[in-house]
Amino acid sequence: MLKWLYQFLYKILKHVSRQLSILALLVIFALGCKQNKKEAPASEKVITPDSIKNQAQEVTVNPYASVDISPMDMSYFPVDYPKIKMAHANISPPVMRVIYSRPHLQRRALFNGILKYDEPWRLGANEASEIDFYKPVSIQGKKISAGRYIIYGIPHVDKWTIILNSNIDSWGLKQDSTKDVGSFEVPVLTNNVSLEYFTMVFEKTESGADLLIAWADVLARLQIKF
Amino acid sequence: MKKNSFLLLGAFLLTFVAIAQPGFPEVDKSPMDMCYYPAQYPNLKTQDKKTEPLTARVIYSRPKKEGRQIFGGLVEYGKLWRLGANEATEIEFYKPVIIGNKKIVKGRFTLYAIVNEKSWTFIVNKETDVWGSFKYNASKDVARVDVPVEQLKDSVESLVMNFEKADNVIRLVVAWENVKVALPISL
Repeated sequence: MLKWLYQFLYKILKHVSRQLSILALLVIFALGCKQNKKEAPASEKVITPDSIKNQAQEVTVNPYASVDISPMDMSYFPVDYPKIKMAHANISPPVMRVIYSRPHLQRRALFNGILKYDEPWRLGANEASEIDFYKPVSIQGKKISAGRYIIYGIPHVDKWTIILNSNIDSWGLKQDSTKDVGSFEVPVLTNNVSLEYFTMVFEKTESGADLLIAWADVLARLQIKF
Repeated sequence: MKKNSFLLLGAFLLTFVAIAQPGFPEVDKSPMDMCYYPAQYPNLKTQDKKTEPLTARVIYSRPKKEGRQIFGGLVEYGKLWRLGANEATEIEFYKPVIIGNKKIVKGRFTLYAIVNEKSWTFIVNKETDVWGSFKYNASKDVARVDVPVEQLKDSVESLVMNFEKADNVIRLVVAWENVKVALPISL
């Protein structure tokens, strides 16, 4: 029985082509979770089909501020700028960064489960997602001044609309198009590699960098030139 | 037992499915978080309920205790600490403030701490967008202030920061393990 179990496990792991190192990581990860049941955020908990409800209801005990179920994250361009800066003392300032929160699928469908087509979305969770440009950039021919903006999107079946807006330091999304700075239609790929966590990251291009906006098997790209 | 094995296997596989982010960044083990003064400012702003102007915000990562000794252990006494994890902690002022008798202009700064048993030294430094505390340069300091350590009865698992108001100052409260400190910021 145990042998069969191992074989089965091996087959699955082989299928996803990461093999035993992943298993080792999983064991460490699972043990880590076990020891910290009390405080571990839901994002690091083992997900079983019947535990979703509990996860959403569980409140992390912290007398000052609980850990968010959708953790915040930050991406720079150049990618990993703060780390690169450690190795290069006279590096020029970064070009841009995005600060956003990362909801996860938790076995829900992205569309008609979490998001709806043609309805605006804050591109994250909790606070509105923020994009900082440290110098002027250009998006689809429109000049964007250096500074801070919120970024949100309207997903459609065949394309996404990405909007920069000046209503910074805000929560969720209260649309106020009078504060829109730019609105851009971008292509969307719907057979991307599947991601559990919503992800935004920059990728270098010949003329600047793309902001990759990815979740589940959907990938939208905003071209930024500088 | 057999049933348990199956459950364990299922749990392993589902965990894998849950954390896999092939080609894209994983979720940080010490998740990032943000706090504002006034507390919950973005929420209040969106609901048109703000009563005070935006003053400050902190962006930091939240490591967990995970059974380890933090102060005097993981965070060594007398050494510089990024006051979080991953990127160094960032503090931004939306108007000029005073910390430890030093006037600080509005803008973004990096916040470090030197932790000791009875007191902490907070350091505000103008070199931003940095990782860790590896390239700390004291000549870029804009303020240093010593604050006493307060002991907590209950242990705090995840590092936490929060702004609170006290008379004419605001305090950035930092708590982890059984330790609580507060950085006074005058407006």
